[in-house]
Amino acid sequence: MPDNTYLPKLARIVDIKTEVGGRRAIKTFRVEFLDGDGFSHRCGQCAMVSVLGKGEAMFSISSSPLLEEYLHFSVLRTGRVTVALHDMEVGDVIGLRGAYGNGFPIEAWEGKNLVFIGGGCGLAPIWSVLQTALARKRDYGDITLFHGARTPGDIVYKDELGELRERMAVHLSVDAGEPGWEEFVGFVPANLIDKKPSSLNAIGVVCGPPIMIRSVIDNLESLGFAGERIFTTVENKMKCGIGKCGRCNIGGSYACKDGPVYSWAELKNLPKEY
Amino acid sequence: MEKVLDRRHLGDWVERLGSYRVYAPVADGDLWHYEVVGDPGEMRLDHPNTVHSPKGMVFPQREVLFEFEHQKGASPVIDQVLPDPQPSVVFGVRPCDARALTLTDKVFADDFEDPYYRARRNRAAWVGLSCNAPPSPACFCSSVGGSPHSEDGLDILMTELADGYFVTTLTNRGEEIVGSAISLFEDPDREAERELERVHAESRRRMERTIDDLEATPARLREAFESTFWDDESRACIQCGICTYLCPACHCFDINDEVSSSSPLRGRRVRTWDSCQFADFTMHSSGHNPRPDKASRMRQRICHKFLYFVERHHVCQCTGCGRCVSECPVGVDILAVVNRVAGHAR
Repeated sequence: MPDNTYLPKLARIVDIKTEVGGRRAIKTFRVEFLDGDGFSHRCGQCAMVSVLGKGEAMFSISSSPLLEEYLHFSVLRTGRVTVALHDMEVGDVIGLRGAYGNGFPIEAWEGKNLVFIGGGCGLAPIWSVLQTALARKRDYGDITLFHGARTPGDIVYKDELGELRERMAVHLSVDAGEPGWEEFVGFVPANLIDKKPSSLNAIGVVCGPPIMIRSVIDNLESLGFAGERIFTTVENKMKCGIGKCGRCNIGGSYACKDGPVYSWAELKNLPKEY
Repeated sequence: MEKVLDRRHLGDWVERLGSYRVYAPVADGDLWHYEVVGDPGEMRLDHPNTVHSPKGMVFPQREVLFEFEHQKGASPVIDQVLPDPQPSVVFGVRPCDARALTLTDKVFADDFEDPYYRARRNRAAWVGLSCNAPPSPACFCSSVGGSPHSEDGLDILMTELADGYFVTTLTNRGEEIVGSAISLFEDPDREAERELERVHAESRRRMERTIDDLEATPARLREAFESTFWDDESRACIQCGICTYLCPACHCFDINDEVSSSSPLRGRRVRTWDSCQFADFTMHSSGHNPRPDKASRMRQRICHKFLYFVERHHVCQCTGCGRCVSECPVGVDILAVVNRVAGHAR
């Protein structure tokens, strides 16, 4: 009998980092499969995370596939499963199934400049591809990151962003400024126009809230990025992850297995169901 | 093989299928549904069509995927719950419902095979019954690639003749089921063959409801995607979801955990039917909803069947059973909607 794809593989939480506190808390979980019985993934693929007794939800795997011994998930505390996850402790066991979806075509981007744009927790789905490109920096041109959040306290991966600054351009923004904030104040799409990254030989990779994604894509196009060179990852509600439960579709395309990564050239020909 | 079965021997045939669990349509007042046959002598095959399609035999409305137990400090234990393998035979399946199996096959047995569906599919034999007259005033199988005597999805097709049934086996399993009671059957004579042709031809003539142009429908739906047509068509919809629950081809589902004990944690992961007509079906936890209104949800149901499924699998995902039409509390008629969509390009 073939493997039963609905059975989660067990994984232990080995580290929990609080990225953002408060009502919209974000935590990053580092997990390791029990008994080495896991799965590998590509940049941009997702996994269905189980909290037994609470249910499942789909998350992007935010760690690079180059790190084989563990997976990272960055999770915003918002629904039944994510609230339960936020209550878990190091040593607790969760279930994982996957990896699902197509992933970013990162090999096709070799030799190109990469512009990453992540809004809020939407930095997590592009974090694995950003980390992988940085680890293989010789294969790519300039790498730039835009990250925006509601307030300075909502910025994720603060420690890592500090280190990144020494290796690449990092442009931060907040929707609402505070005393002591010296970087851009305004929405992410506006910061993009302010900094005007060159579209020459460049790929744009964006994830965030749906409305931010659309505005960023508009602005990337106005900066000269062609639709084939803009990529996003679509986080629709999913239950099965394998194209059967019927809810994540964008027109005729199932985000769970045909996506979640789409070029803008592909996505603009699909209905706006994301 | 082709055989003829005298009407009086139907019960004897069922009786000889001792190792199988046998299902057939049973009337509960006006409501017909499939049930395990108790007394083979009581079995009837004069049903219009069942209110519930037999979809539940391969994809039940509620199904346990696995059970789990988690003692504090220990690793959780997960036990998959696969359907019991007892072979079964389903009698009296209308050709529209059998064709729907070939459509759910495409969903559940694609690149990711669904082991629960597969186990239920493998254990059941499907014995169809031709519709000599339309079993519902709403049905339209011949408009969507089927026919009142379609063999698709079946192991055996039976057609009622004046004195009995013309029985055609279509698979090895079908031959076994006839073979296990072969002494009850006779070889058809020329008269029986002529009668079969006559009955089939007459049944095709009786199909009245038609889709104007099935081939042109995907393009028409694509053109009308952004049209206010969908607001008009969905205005009366009360989002009860009965169209999708009664549909033999709809396959959307939800997965949830049911907890029976909290310490130690014990429970089961359960799959249940879900419906694209429900508002929270696609709603993100942020509150954002990609299909936020009745119009976009009705458009999804119809485009899934007549556009997306055609793009992916080259066949329409409606078999024309008519249940969503006859049971809709507000009179939404999928065939009428599809026929009206032409010319509604934005």
